[in-house]
Amino acid sequence: MSQHLFRDYDNAIHHLQEDLLTMATLTRQNLEQAMQALLRGDTDLANTVIAADSDVDELERKVDQIGMEILVRFHPVATDLRLIIASMKISTSLERISDHAVGIAKRVRKINQGQPMQEVQWLEPLYAQAYALLRDAMDSYTNHDKLLGQALHEKDRELDRLHKQLTRTLSSQLEVANGRSAAWLHLIFIARSLERIGDLSVNIGEEAVFLESAINIRHEYRKPLPENQLPST
Amino acid sequence: MSPVLSDRIEVHDLHFYYGHTCALKAVSLNVPERQVTAFIGPSGCGKSTLLRCFNRMNDEIPGARVSSGSIHIGGVNIQQPSVDVAKLRREVGMVFQKSNPFPRSIFDNVAFGLQLHRISNRSMLNQAVEEALISAALWDEVKDRLHESALALSGGQQQRLCIARSLAVKPSIILMDEPCSALDPIAAAKVEDLIRTLRQQITFIIVTHNMQQAARVSDLTAFFHLGELIEFSPTLKLFSNPAHKLTEAYLRGTFG
Repeated sequence: MSQHLFRDYDNAIHHLQEDLLTMATLTRQNLEQAMQALLRGDTDLANTVIAADSDVDELERKVDQIGMEILVRFHPVATDLRLIIASMKISTSLERISDHAVGIAKRVRKINQGQPMQEVQWLEPLYAQAYALLRDAMDSYTNHDKLLGQALHEKDRELDRLHKQLTRTLSSQLEVANGRSAAWLHLIFIARSLERIGDLSVNIGEEAVFLESAINIRHEYRKPLPENQLPST
Repeated sequence: MSPVLSDRIEVHDLHFYYGHTCALKAVSLNVPERQVTAFIGPSGCGKSTLLRCFNRMNDEIPGARVSSGSIHIGGVNIQQPSVDVAKLRREVGMVFQKSNPFPRSIFDNVAFGLQLHRISNRSMLNQAVEEALISAALWDEVKDRLHESALALSGGQQQRLCIARSLAVKPSIILMDEPCSALDPIAAAKVEDLIRTLRQQITFIIVTHNMQQAARVSDLTAFFHLGELIEFSPTLKLFSNPAHKLTEAYLRGTFG
């Protein structure tokens, strides 16, 4: 993006983006570690995730504060305005994703108090899909890739399909749980968190599209992007 | 008055009159050093009067006087008769709304203050002029025509030349009265960027009617109304959550 004559403006935007990217890195790490804690039965790793969440919360506050400061001080317009709005909304989505990672980690601690469960591995495909969605969502923002942003809806449909399938399997196990019903319920809720992480990643992708093309694709994702209406910048 | 001033400005219970008209009522505020403070408020609120008190520019107006209260800069009461006003104005420079270069060369304009303070060594003058023009972000634009008339410069360049002229005598405080109101947005952005860069060494007080400019450049903002200081807060606080209803009404344009 071209520079502003007023360098303070550039510095503030730079700090906003830097904090948002740090937030994305920590959020991805929290999700990765929460799921590794589940798949490996590692309670210590689950505790690490729970402790790390406050860093993400702090960064969310910082992004909000810098965003508001930019709105107050510089009255952003055009691309700058979209960048500030998109970044603040993305930060909210990231914070929620990190909260889901913490939710998963807390359930891992409870699961690990009982007998080891091989069936935790059933969540791996769902996790892989949710993780890929989050990665692509942030790539669409950092690489200004509106097509990747828009493509997230399709990937999310696949995640939803996997989630439905898995929920059916887990629910049927719950009926014959033989005293392990709590553990099966935890897995159902973890699957639900992964599905929600997919939705939140789609929201991030939508913000990336808005940032690049000023088009709001929320709730309209089945329509193709109107290329001829895109601004030339 | 001590030759070296720190640049903290302390105003205590200041009352100011033009003849029988009270222009400032019981104003008290402390302007911190090496930050940018903006004075805002409707016309006639007293903001420019207060600004001009800081280097005693009001002394030149017949009938204008501080009736009570005090202004200390670096601990020295600048209202005292013993204060050397020329020295005070060297410490406390001023830039006006309309750029006012002298009808002389670019070089002479910047060197003028130094020569007034009896610096005549040519190499020292050359160096000081270059430094001031670099600080004012004007050097690259004028270095090849230093001996051409300052009046040939554009409005934005003339205003930066006036800033360079103030900087040449190494003031610790610069007062600015609507410094960008006659400039186009690009020239104004250059002046604003300059203020933000120089604020690490110099205290700036800027009077402006441009609310967005106050929000962009200042660290602290004071809002005046009918000669009274209504609110003085960090700029972000004042513009996002003003404490006083009058400030909010003025900022939102729902005034009166």
